[in-house]
Amino acid sequence: MEKKQPLLRHLNWALLVCALALFAVGEMNLISASGTRLESGLTLASFYQRQFLWGLLGLVCMSLTMSFDYHRLSTLTWYLYGVTIVLLALVPLIGTTVYGAKRWISLGLFSIQPSELAKFAILLVTAKLMANESEPLGWKTFGQILLATLPPVALIVKQPDLGTTLMLVFIMAGMVLFHGLKAVVFRICALALPCIGAFMWFVGMHDYQRQRILTFLNPGEDPLGAGYHILQSRIAIGSGQFWGKGFAEGTQSQLRFLPERHSDFAVAVFGEEWGFVGCLALVTLFALFLFSILTTVIQAKDRFGSLLCVGVFFYFLLEITINMGMVVGLMPVVGIPLPFISYGGSATIINFIFIGLVLNVSMRRYAFRI
Amino acid sequence: MKKRKLNLETLPDLQAAQENDPKIRINKENTEAYQPPRNGIILLEVLITLFFIVFVSRFWILQVHQGADFARQAQNNHWREERISAPRGRIFDQHGRVLADNRTTYGLSLVRDDIRDLTATLAQVSVWTGVPLEQVEERYRQSRFKVKSFEPLLLATDLDFDLMARIESELYAWPGLEIVVLTKRSYPEKDILAHILGYVAEANERELDKDADLAMGDLVGKAGLELTQEKKLRGKKGLYDIEVDASGHMVDRFLREEPQSGVDLRLAIDCEMQQACWDALGSQAGSIVVMEPETGKLRAVVTAPAYDNNLFAEGISHRDWNALRNSPRFPLQNRVIQSVYPPGSVWKLLMAACLMENGISPSETVFCGGQTKLGNQIFRCWKHSGHGRQNLEQALVNSCDVYFYLMAERIGIDKIEEYAHACGFGQRTGIDLPHEKSGLVPSREWKKRRHKRVWTRGDTYNVSIGQGFTLITPVQIAVYVSGLLNGGEILKPLLLDTDEKDVRMRIPARPQTISFIVNAMRKTASSGTARVVRRTDADMGGKTGTAQVVKLGKTRRKSSELAWKERDHAWIATWGRKNDKTYVVIVMVEHGGGGSSVAGPIAAKVYDYLFSEERMGTEAGQRAGASGTGTDANRPREPAVQARKSR
Repeated sequence: MEKKQPLLRHLNWALLVCALALFAVGEMNLISASGTRLESGLTLASFYQRQFLWGLLGLVCMSLTMSFDYHRLSTLTWYLYGVTIVLLALVPLIGTTVYGAKRWISLGLFSIQPSELAKFAILLVTAKLMANESEPLGWKTFGQILLATLPPVALIVKQPDLGTTLMLVFIMAGMVLFHGLKAVVFRICALALPCIGAFMWFVGMHDYQRQRILTFLNPGEDPLGAGYHILQSRIAIGSGQFWGKGFAEGTQSQLRFLPERHSDFAVAVFGEEWGFVGCLALVTLFALFLFSILTTVIQAKDRFGSLLCVGVFFYFLLEITINMGMVVGLMPVVGIPLPFISYGGSATIINFIFIGLVLNVSMRRYAFRI
Repeated sequence: MKKRKLNLETLPDLQAAQENDPKIRINKENTEAYQPPRNGIILLEVLITLFFIVFVSRFWILQVHQGADFARQAQNNHWREERISAPRGRIFDQHGRVLADNRTTYGLSLVRDDIRDLTATLAQVSVWTGVPLEQVEERYRQSRFKVKSFEPLLLATDLDFDLMARIESELYAWPGLEIVVLTKRSYPEKDILAHILGYVAEANERELDKDADLAMGDLVGKAGLELTQEKKLRGKKGLYDIEVDASGHMVDRFLREEPQSGVDLRLAIDCEMQQACWDALGSQAGSIVVMEPETGKLRAVVTAPAYDNNLFAEGISHRDWNALRNSPRFPLQNRVIQSVYPPGSVWKLLMAACLMENGISPSETVFCGGQTKLGNQIFRCWKHSGHGRQNLEQALVNSCDVYFYLMAERIGIDKIEEYAHACGFGQRTGIDLPHEKSGLVPSREWKKRRHKRVWTRGDTYNVSIGQGFTLITPVQIAVYVSGLLNGGEILKPLLLDTDEKDVRMRIPARPQTISFIVNAMRKTASSGTARVVRRTDADMGGKTGTAQVVKLGKTRRKSSELAWKERDHAWIATWGRKNDKTYVVIVMVEHGGGGSSVAGPIAAKVYDYLFSEERMGTEAGQRAGASGTGTDANRPREPAVQARKSR
């Protein structure tokens, strides 16, 4: 352990503190979100206890991620990518169907979701492909990246999983934009994007996905159907007003008007009970969290590490924006949890693994073990 | 972007670490080599800033700008109002006996959401309650779609306390079943007061539309006093604020308005007396009215046959309803106020006053030879041999038809009609019961309008003896006879025990006219057609009546020879006074036959009860300062020997 001390000294402590603070806020919010007020009084589901255990497990995974030099990932990249593609290809064959979508592979004791692995794979592949590019990307490297992204994206679209698909594309796109594109490439892409969007809308999307977007655009049309989630979550947040209703005092959540209140709509519970003051604090905390990732992006000693952090940055930025955007009615309902705030075992572990990745890069910005 | 340069001096730890562990390398070459792209960093910084601004402003809009609006919506989400039903006022008789009560019964209901095994549960309900399984299942099917899945669906009602207690001990094994407490209206006296009390039942759609205070399933008065006194009896509902969760389950509740129970009513009716009258009437179809002439209070109002109003309160079955509706004896009819009959000779009480007030001297006489001719029509007196010379008093006592034929002809129908109206006939008495009939006092215009024929003198002859078109209700004659005894006041007959005497009109007659008629009634009861009610212990008066139902030929046939429907209606209008207690008793027996032979003995039985030693005792005891009881205890009235012969 002594040997690692100097490494820990260069750790991005701000990021770790932010992450733990967010996890603490999420844990506290879950206690309230687990509550259901019945005639006999308040009863608590055990979500917050389980989430705490998941958090501990996440910290262990984070430590494991930090324990080796991230450059080893560079050599592992293509193996990981290959495994991901195989697993994704297996999903339609041996996967289990949940809510009309095949996303899981059951391994007996637990199930895995290959699409989660795909985020990691895309992040690594993109970083690796750009690691040696010191100039803005030309057609060649960009084409390679697109080619590498296409198979997992296509497989996940078929599952179908709109949320993860968007995540993959945006992580890749974010990293590419961060690195920079040649002007020609950028312009052509800017022209092509709307066409791809239109194509997706008419060909690539399932009816329920289109419906979600339409519902998002006009939630009042169907208050008890698809618009119910959006409406109730807006009522929950709005009714919190400036100071909030107080911890475990939210009527929208305690009386179960709010759907998915411990998972996707957890922040609505927070907004209802802590009001604008709480939301301002939470958004600030998220912004600080993102800034602390940015610190490591800047401080990283090499391009590969920096790009890994950029990928993590976009991963979190997108998850936070899509989830909160959905809850406050700025985005359609897409089943993406809010990092550290929403309940979810595998999401918590993955989040901590990503944090570990950034910490790994920050630790080894000056030195690394061979 | 500042240039980062590795300064080894600032990193002693690293150096030390390197010395300890040769595997740790200080990466000198790359420290200056990698520069993150400037634009990329700016992009990320802009994204964070944008993220912050967008979400903070969005939260501001939702929570501060529109916060109050959403707060209201959240309120509406989880607050409901629920009405609390107020207990309906009870009804008591004169002496505090309960006539209409709110009974608590228990029922079993089922909440579909909580049920595990429906078939087994229904079977268990059937075992507990003894109701056949098919009926339980039928009941479930009928209510299946009317009741929400989390609301109790009533499977069985009317469980008594013992059964409920036994079920409750086993209920834990049957989730979804619960015991509910129900309030039911019950009428312990059943038939004998059914028409007076009426009944309650669930409000129908029309009633719900009319009255915003009513909700589905509320009980409202449908007949009798329950209907007319609905406002007083119902009370005012309370209000709960109920906090519900998303599926509508109650979480908490707060009382906002207390329910106000309905007003208890005390009737003028004396239930024991009512029972005595009911018994006196026996199996006859008809009615008895006992009225206090001074106050207008009705002490007994019997109409028979009757029905059990509890049947209606519990929701009458089709079979029972059809049986009641199609019965040839019309048990649903309240014969005291809803049936109109020709009054027969009882009408002569009115005619006498009318004649005296229209210039006929009571001493003037008419010769009755058993009949009189009008054109080629012969009008008979009931007594074929005739009464000989009759003055007014004799004509009343003997009920001489010929006297009244001729005298009525002298004053004319217009005067008679006017006078009868002034005495309350041909119009409702205002009794607190629904659907009262007004009866009919015919007039020239009426006949023209109704029958398109002109009035004839024969019509006047018929009206004079209470036949022809004339129709009255028993309560009307009770009110009129009371008027004769109280100095001329036509009172509203009171069912409720109130001291507010309601004088509706006055008999337009001089005191001597009234006392003349009262005196004539006294004579009729002591030696005339009404002597069946004669008593030695009380001052009695009366007048009988036998109203023809079908026009008969020359000779009157005996009742036993006629079909029931064609027999005469039997009337007797009487009063009796003993120890300052005065009662007017009207007995009317539908198709009973002769007034004195059928109605008379019933009235006599009623007086036997009214003036019985023990009753007078209790009445005296109840009234402070009342004088002593009667003395002649053994044989209060003479046997009605001549009842069959007299009229």
